[in-house]
Amino acid sequence: MIYILEDDRGWENYYRRILKGHEMEFFHDGVTAIAAMDERVPDLVILDVLLTGPTGFAVLNEMRSYPELAEVPVVVISSVSMKDEIAKEYGVARVFDKGELMPADVIAAAKEFDGKESA
Amino acid sequence: MKSEVFGANSSVVVVAHELKAPLSLMRQLALSLDFEESVDDAREVGRQIVATSERALQQVNDLTRIARLDDALFEMEPVNPRVVCDEVIAELWQLFRFNRREIEIDYRNKRRLAVANRQLLYSVVYNFCLNAMNYGGEELPSRISVYDRQNKIRIDVRDFGPTVPTKVWREIKDGFVKKPVDIAMRPGSSGLGLYIAAKFANYMNSDFGLVRHRDGTSFYIDLPISGQLSLV
Repeated sequence: MIYILEDDRGWENYYRRILKGHEMEFFHDGVTAIAAMDERVPDLVILDVLLTGPTGFAVLNEMRSYPELAEVPVVVISSVSMKDEIAKEYGVARVFDKGELMPADVIAAAKEFDGKESA
Repeated sequence: MKSEVFGANSSVVVVAHELKAPLSLMRQLALSLDFEESVDDAREVGRQIVATSERALQQVNDLTRIARLDDALFEMEPVNPRVVCDEVIAELWQLFRFNRREIEIDYRNKRRLAVANRQLLYSVVYNFCLNAMNYGGEELPSRISVYDRQNKIRIDVRDFGPTVPTKVWREIKDGFVKKPVDIAMRPGSSGLGLYIAAKFANYMNSDFGLVRHRDGTSFYIDLPISGQLSLV
């Protein structure tokens, strides 16, 4: 199961298309996503930094403070750059700039962490 | 919130970021065409690319106009606000559809003309609608209304998203909108569209403001009524 935190519906449509075959749930804000993680721990979180409400940094902070979410792999895909040291500090598995991302990057990350092939 | 992400300086960075968003999306959509299985799906992606690029072009055009406000002649003329709103909706409906958003129309004004610059008014309404699209929820459609208010015609666009913080409301109310980041009121946006709207409203000597609701926000512009009768 992949939780995708992205508040731009254009990007949401994009993920839906290229990650067909994966079980996905979309969240437009971090508060709702964290609440959902209480119910079910995802195999992978794809996270944008600029979200409606708390930023992706706040979500990462929150996730890492819960033992059951601390090890969940997070892939940051954002227009905002994230410094290596910050990514390392939060244990972010991959960081992609939206301006340079390739669909194959997303598909590979989903396969690696969610364990399924995109359809 | 924005300064945490963008750093203290920022108008240029914020504008660049805002323009990067549609460019990045268009690039991804174009790359994702390889994954489409049917011609219809590919056409749908093509339509989304066009709608996204038109939005970016509108923002670039608006920024150009802002740079020309001091020396350009944007003449005031009698304008039918309903026609301008209809044109904006016609332009944006595809983008609303791709974002799974709806907007409804509520025209209640007498058929009188307003005094405005048609091009600038179009941009104001366009940016109000874009803002509503970004922040409106999926449950309730945003609403564009035109109605008479004392001796003015008001156009307002109501959304049902997170309401605007009091600090930002005061900035807009007091006319302190100096740069995009000043009205980065709701995360996910630099407030560029509203900055543009505020600049154009000010140029047209119109009142620009917002009303905070418990469940969203209305942005409005009040336009003087023209003495010329509408023939529409």
